[in-house]
Amino acid sequence: MSIPARNLLRLLGASAVLLWLAAALNFAVDPLQLFRPSRLFQPMYSNDVRLQNAGLIQSQDFDTVFMGTSLGIHYRQSDIDRALGGHSVKLTMQGSSSREQAFVLEETLRQRHPKRIVWEMDDFIFCDAPEIDADIYLPAGLYRRDAKGIAGYLFSGTMARESAWMLLRAIPHLRPAVDRLAKFSISDVDDINVLARDTDIAALYNANNAFASFVRITDPARAAYLGEGYGYESEVQNFERDVAALIARYPDVQFDIYFPPYSILQWVAMRDASPATLKIVYELTGHVARRLTRFSNVRLFDFRAIAEITHDLGNYSDVIHHSPDVDLKVLSMLARGEYPVDRAAPTASLDQLKAQAAAYRVER
Amino acid sequence: MLFNSYAFIFLFLPIVLLGTFALGRLGHLVPVIWLALASLAFYGFGNWQFVPLLLASVAFNYAIGYLLIERKLQPSARRAALIAGVGGDLVILGIFKYAGFFAANLDAVFGTSLTVNILLPVGISFYTFTQIAFLVDAFSGNVARYALPHYALFVTYFPHLIAGPILHHRDMIPQFERAEIKRPNAHLILCGTIIFAIGLFKKTCLADGIQPLVSLAFGASAPLSFDHAWIGALAYTFQLYFDFSGYSDMAIGISLMFGVFLPLNFNSPYKAQSIVDFWRRWHMTLSKFLRDYLYIPLGGNRRGRVPRYVNLMVTMLLGGLWHGAAWTFVAWGALHGIYLCINHAWNHLVPAPPPRFALAAKLAAGTLTFVAVVVAWVFFRADSFASALTVLSGMANPATVILGRDEVANILLIAVYAAIVWFAPNTQTLMRYDHERRMVGAGEIELRPFPLYAAAAVLACGILGIQQHSEFIYFRF
Repeated sequence: MSIPARNLLRLLGASAVLLWLAAALNFAVDPLQLFRPSRLFQPMYSNDVRLQNAGLIQSQDFDTVFMGTSLGIHYRQSDIDRALGGHSVKLTMQGSSSREQAFVLEETLRQRHPKRIVWEMDDFIFCDAPEIDADIYLPAGLYRRDAKGIAGYLFSGTMARESAWMLLRAIPHLRPAVDRLAKFSISDVDDINVLARDTDIAALYNANNAFASFVRITDPARAAYLGEGYGYESEVQNFERDVAALIARYPDVQFDIYFPPYSILQWVAMRDASPATLKIVYELTGHVARRLTRFSNVRLFDFRAIAEITHDLGNYSDVIHHSPDVDLKVLSMLARGEYPVDRAAPTASLDQLKAQAAAYRVER
Repeated sequence: MLFNSYAFIFLFLPIVLLGTFALGRLGHLVPVIWLALASLAFYGFGNWQFVPLLLASVAFNYAIGYLLIERKLQPSARRAALIAGVGGDLVILGIFKYAGFFAANLDAVFGTSLTVNILLPVGISFYTFTQIAFLVDAFSGNVARYALPHYALFVTYFPHLIAGPILHHRDMIPQFERAEIKRPNAHLILCGTIIFAIGLFKKTCLADGIQPLVSLAFGASAPLSFDHAWIGALAYTFQLYFDFSGYSDMAIGISLMFGVFLPLNFNSPYKAQSIVDFWRRWHMTLSKFLRDYLYIPLGGNRRGRVPRYVNLMVTMLLGGLWHGAAWTFVAWGALHGIYLCINHAWNHLVPAPPPRFALAAKLAAGTLTFVAVVVAWVFFRADSFASALTVLSGMANPATVILGRDEVANILLIAVYAAIVWFAPNTQTLMRYDHERRMVGAGEIELRPFPLYAAAAVLACGILGIQQHSEFIYFRF
């Protein structure tokens, strides 16, 4: 064999050894806790929930799943447990579509059999979204635990870096230094994506921010975005595929679904800048309410017309995202079963919302 | 298909390599046809709907080339054939790349409500320019007759098809005709693998690694702080370089495994001492194309200073528009055109500094060039003029500095990247890659274990850095 040929084999062989060493490190440390709950190493969690959730499903003990979008991202699992009882895992994902939510829920239900799903449901999740395997943000293989997903996890440089941090952190002398350097590490599962304890809540959630957001989204130059992706027929189809079909497949699981309390400005923005979108949202959520109230394993709550929350703009950081105080109120209302959608009149609360949105006058 | 994907590295590339060398025993033509078919498969993976367009483009240009090279046409008929060929290429490029832009501008000016949405075929700008050069040279009598398989491979050759380097037929087709392409050469495969590894590392570890910092400036809501604006602009400056030069390295490395030397595309551009120097180092194959097929035919510098500046502006404006159908790209091209005019005027009017100030002048020139390039990149990256002006306003307002813990960490990361681009040797220096002399590598790699195992680590890191989906920035041009 010539010298270059021998060197080529050495090069490829050494690369292969390094790749397998990285995979072995990832398997041993298992930073996402995909194979086993972390015992030898103190766990570290990531705010990248589409990645982290695949591990949470495997590593956490739970009987309740909390699903939703950014509207449910700041909830603490401990608050959910205190309010609703049981043991929950939060799988909410910022900007998630119904397709993503249904996929994650399906894998969770299939692999871990929780008893209850608490589902924060926005109307915009039903806009068209890519197929799960074409979704570049959601590592579907990790959830399915198929060969491609597991290989992608084991042979990942990012995971190897996380594993190395965790390994170093396990050495007592190095731990303070690692904690200083790995500033984004989260060691308590309860802290994933919650607001930092020193967050200035009043500076984040106030009427000025909510109103500034309202002005921004109703600006004629941007107003077209309000209706982007909305289409009644396609959204109904997506609802049927992602929500109704999933609920029908799991009749023994309790689904507690709620429409979150957006600020009244969200509805007024659509009323003034994109009335066609508002019509679609009304019709869509009317359909959703009628369909969901037919399932015996669903309890549907509509918090959209609670004026003492939605008209108090100090509760909001923009036109939809509410403060941690409202998080707790939502949990409390769910626990007490307040604002249920009446099976005999599933659109009554929607009618209330319509009346509020039509009557509201913005003071500029 | 992406070079930075498991499917390409572990499946496509080994199969095509083994197939080429196995089929090399069957004659000269079979491996060329195999490579051309493999290139179409590479292109069709994810872009299958554009394969017919690519094939039609190859057939059309080959036919026009045949008329220009083989048939004894009258001068007027030859000119008509050339105009039909180049015009046809530009019409196709115009329809697929610029029709939407044109319609949007008509709508903006005249309120036509006309919108055109046409998917941009990947690589169309590259394979169109490649073939325009072929037609122009055929018209000038500078092209020998090529066999169709060799011509088709020249256009579709997968290492360069999607994002360059922009190849020249006189450089490539003779290489496809050589016997080396049919026989494995362990030295070239070894050097090609190392160059590929360096490119992969640049892409997956360096370019993708700094990408999150770019969003601090681009896409963030106004007003931007001074440090966020600079961090974002500098991060994009380095991301674009490592992304595109990484891609070019990978293309050169892959091609080398087949025994084919591709031209260099980058030569440490951020070490440039002037804008003229920058354009000799950045996207070198595009610069050469624009010089040979646009700037010089326009008259170049042969008609005096003012026409030269006009020619420079026209060349750079069209160069900007080549990158994308948006006014931000035109602004980027215009800025570089102005920079080049100023640079040439300076060279003409201002004498060289005395030797004792040479070092200071060099530092000042390098710094000024780099800052000018960064400012222009803001237009290149921004989605709109408003977004570009937001970033530039932030960069020009030191009063709004934040400089918290995160910002300091980000600045340190930027400093590491700056150190690499300013002080580290580039790939061709490391690998002693000489495109002109068709030489690569040296004895050390074969004898000393350290460079070999360092290259193995670079390759492993590059593979470990592969993310689920990370396209190259230049794929969209």
